[in-house]
Amino acid sequence: MVETMECKMSAGAVPGTGQIDRLRAALNRALRGKGRVVEQVIACLLARGHLLLEDLPGLGKTTLAKAVAGAVGGTFARVQCTPDLLPGDITGFSIFNQKTREFEFQPGPVFADVLLADEINRTTPRTQSALLEAMAERQATVDNVRRTLAPTFFVIATQNPVEHHGTYPLPEAQLDRFAMKLSVGYPDRGDELDLLAAAIGDVTGEPGSDPSLTEGELAALQAQVARVAVQPNVRAYLVDLGRATRSHPKVTLGLSPRGLLIWQRVAQAWAFLKDRPFVTPDDVQDVAAPVLGVRLGLAPDAAGGVIHHLLEAVSVPV
Amino acid sequence: MAPEMSRLVRRVTFVLLALSAAAVEVAAIDTRAVAASLGLAAGWVTLALVVNLFVPVPADSHRNPPKWVFPLTLGLAAAPFAVEPLRRSWTGDGDPLELQMVFGLRNVGLGLAACGGWFACLRLACVVSLFLTLFAAVMTGHPAVMVILGLYTATGSIWLMLVYWTGLRAVCVAPERAVAVEELPERQRLPWVGLLLLLFAVGGGLALALVGPKRAALALVELIPTSGGTGETDPFARYGVGDGPEETPGDDAKAAGMVETEKMIEDTDRSLVDVVSDTYGPPHKPPADQERMVAGGFAEVIQSDGKPPDNRRPNRDFDTSRTGPKGDKKPDSRAARGLFEVDGRTPLHVRLVAYGGYDAIGKRLIEARKPSSRSIEAEGGDWMRLGQFKSSANWYREDERHRLKAADMADNLVPTPAMLTRFRINKVDKPDYYEWDHDGVLALAGRKRTPPGVIVTTDCHTLDPARLPDAAFVRAGAAGVTAPDLCEMQDAIRPEIDRLAREWAGDRDRGWQQIEAVVTKLRTGYTFDPTAATPPDHPAPVLWFLTESRGGPDYLFATAAALLLRSLDYPTRVCLGYYAAPDAYDQQTAHTPVRTTDLHTWAEVRLQDGHWMVVEPTPGYAVLGPKLPLSERILQALVAVAAWAGRHAIELFVTVAALVVAWGRRRAVLDAAAVGVWRLWPGKTWREQVRRAVRLLERRGRWAGRPRGPRQTACSWLRGVRSDASEHDPDLDRLIRMSEWAAYAPEVSPPWDEADAVVVCRRVLEGWTLWRWQQLSPS
Repeated sequence: MVETMECKMSAGAVPGTGQIDRLRAALNRALRGKGRVVEQVIACLLARGHLLLEDLPGLGKTTLAKAVAGAVGGTFARVQCTPDLLPGDITGFSIFNQKTREFEFQPGPVFADVLLADEINRTTPRTQSALLEAMAERQATVDNVRRTLAPTFFVIATQNPVEHHGTYPLPEAQLDRFAMKLSVGYPDRGDELDLLAAAIGDVTGEPGSDPSLTEGELAALQAQVARVAVQPNVRAYLVDLGRATRSHPKVTLGLSPRGLLIWQRVAQAWAFLKDRPFVTPDDVQDVAAPVLGVRLGLAPDAAGGVIHHLLEAVSVPV
Repeated sequence: MAPEMSRLVRRVTFVLLALSAAAVEVAAIDTRAVAASLGLAAGWVTLALVVNLFVPVPADSHRNPPKWVFPLTLGLAAAPFAVEPLRRSWTGDGDPLELQMVFGLRNVGLGLAACGGWFACLRLACVVSLFLTLFAAVMTGHPAVMVILGLYTATGSIWLMLVYWTGLRAVCVAPERAVAVEELPERQRLPWVGLLLLLFAVGGGLALALVGPKRAALALVELIPTSGGTGETDPFARYGVGDGPEETPGDDAKAAGMVETEKMIEDTDRSLVDVVSDTYGPPHKPPADQERMVAGGFAEVIQSDGKPPDNRRPNRDFDTSRTGPKGDKKPDSRAARGLFEVDGRTPLHVRLVAYGGYDAIGKRLIEARKPSSRSIEAEGGDWMRLGQFKSSANWYREDERHRLKAADMADNLVPTPAMLTRFRINKVDKPDYYEWDHDGVLALAGRKRTPPGVIVTTDCHTLDPARLPDAAFVRAGAAGVTAPDLCEMQDAIRPEIDRLAREWAGDRDRGWQQIEAVVTKLRTGYTFDPTAATPPDHPAPVLWFLTESRGGPDYLFATAAALLLRSLDYPTRVCLGYYAAPDAYDQQTAHTPVRTTDLHTWAEVRLQDGHWMVVEPTPGYAVLGPKLPLSERILQALVAVAAWAGRHAIELFVTVAALVVAWGRRRAVLDAAAVGVWRLWPGKTWREQVRRAVRLLERRGRWAGRPRGPRQTACSWLRGVRSDASEHDPDLDRLIRMSEWAAYAPEVSPPWDEADAVVVCRRVLEGWTLWRWQQLSPS
């Protein structure tokens, strides 16, 4: 009976694990030894969130972003943000066609399926704001014409936390559009040795870019994630945590309802990645740091302690 | 509610509860000093404030309070009922049922205010405070309560404003904070268990009142606030508000009640009765039966409604202010249960007759001479002092106060204890109302019978005989001992008595040592046999008692002691009276009834200052000693406990050993019991079965020093335990998965047979024993 029980218990897995494994493998090839970061990136992607990568130069932010874009398939666009970048350079603009004697819209990089905004804090707030509508509503309004973006539109932005000269910190409204903020961090010694070994003989230095997902598979996976169950007790736990952020003395800006919704979606994606058709408080806790880290008004060095304290203060439902 | 606003509302709610608690304390005993009532209320409020410090404030005040609030509230409500029997037993004081109910409500209010972080508790606390304040206002018209009522009204208005403003702030705050008042998506469930309990309690109460025993119905009525706890049996019932318009006057209402209840309004002075007699003719009472009465003022004359007063029982002291209980009464329920009742420390010797000698010719005891009635002097406050003892010696300890309530006295004696110094009957302010029936036996002058219900308050000396100086014992021939009969003895028995006295006293010094030796010999060497009769032809019954029977009734003990002590040159006498035995103490009424069967004879020794010291030679009887200080009482108790422990050493050792073993194995026993209960009733659904099993594991983990943290789910906690375990346990893995599904999965069929859950749970419970948990390294 034990064997029978084992078989039945393993039958609770959710569909879509094959695509997820391919995606996971592709990203792990691109970013060695960062399994947890890769998992969080996939969770962000499946939760239809946008990702902010913040770390020191040379740790693989752009590599990861390009790997995601390549693995997901679809169109990929990259914007190197500079102080002279204009909003139109992102959203696109209309030009006058002398042959047809009409204005024709030239779509910007925001109309790609995956947009990499490299060094986003180097561009002006005016240009940063061009992404607000696109990220929140998956549409762009140019010349009073609303244009819908791809349903799987995914923004990966990177920023360097060390350099402050000539940078423009992202406003809170912009930060709240991101699902999570991740740091890649230095690899282990063994991973660095593997990295060096793999680079010998590699001329381009770019990982393979064969897409892991076919067209429509990402949308299907995102739809499955949205259906992952969240029971009332877990929802109440989420709400309690959200309210606790608003009354915490060290938090100047608490969690918004949009942030709460994003947190729930990311937790659903996290449960999905664990082949579980429902969310547990452990999922909520696991994704708390990247989700809250991007949107709570906190001193940079206090984030970890405050989030830990918040999770300690609110009892989990059992 | 915004946190800072919630804090303010909580504070104002505490103020409301503090005011209502103060009002209740004042109303409960409005004869007490207001400062004492306010201090008591402040104590309760301070306690609640301290508790409040330990109660967490929830992140969302609109959520339902946690489950522990309900049993806590029930416990607070029941606390006065649980404490009351102990209080009545230990202190002799008590409260009627209505006050216990109100005090329980006060506790509930303060407890809810301490849990004021939850808005439901806050609102309930406010409602309770309103009820308590209204109760206090109805109960009494005391000015302090009126002031508190005004303050409560003002504070209540502020409370309402604050709550209203809180609602406004929820609407008007900045958008990013407005989420604080959003509705929870959680479906609000009716508290079915609470409602069912409430329904059961109300229905059960009604059913009990309708078809249950009458006593139960009456007890329910007594619980209603302002009912006064009007019960047939509760000695502390005081009848309902408005049941009677008259209040007992005087500074000590409890001592005053009974006198005015009686129709003691006749007097030689002109009183209302005289006026009535002038108008309507003299009362229909033969002059021979007329008695002297205490005059009452116009305001104090109470027209009786004809019902017999319920005043012959102890603690029924408020009949003048409240009417008696309604409904049928059995005739014997108003009957006195004894001659008089003693309120105060016992044992107590109450003299009836003092005998000075024995008339051999007449074969009867000779009564001692009466002192002059002029020796009674008014002292103020209706107190009467015995003039001949004004210059008492300084070897006495603190005076002892008693209240003796005449219940069914057959004559006009006023029961007073030995070594009386002063006494008081309220409103009887003239010494000539009293006379001496015998030496040390007080009586009401000119009356045939002491009216039932009269309360005599007495102060009497107490002494520790062992500390008396030798000078305290006067010699028979000394100046002041003028009555030769106190020292005389028949010549026929003198040689034998002298021999025995010298033999028993030995070479002890004169004083208490000699007396104690004689008394101890009688108490230990002779048997008390109340039914024994002296041979009718024996010339000297005392000698027969001392030398032949070595046992007999108490009068022989007393006579023997008196004669033996006379032989040693102490002036003695024999007294007949009543003995208030400590064994007869009634905890319910806090009185000791004295019946005709308590008639007793004892001996007394005259002291230098004229007082008669009671000597108790009869085994089983004792003399009232001085009230010892706390340190001495503790010491005596410790000595008694040590002696008892020495006598029961084996039983004590076995019991302690059993307790130690039980305490050491308590967790194993409790765990086995809990698992047994789980096996019998694991739960209806697989989810319930798994949850209960996980709770049992949680308890084992807590006892073994591996508790689940507040942020840990049961699954993650069990995963941590699994990773620490040396060997892999597939059953634990399955249980972890099951517990995850049981707690957080939607209502769908699990990916295993539901019947398997109980099997897995049982295996894990058997495999992960308490001992195995203890083997794990602590987290």
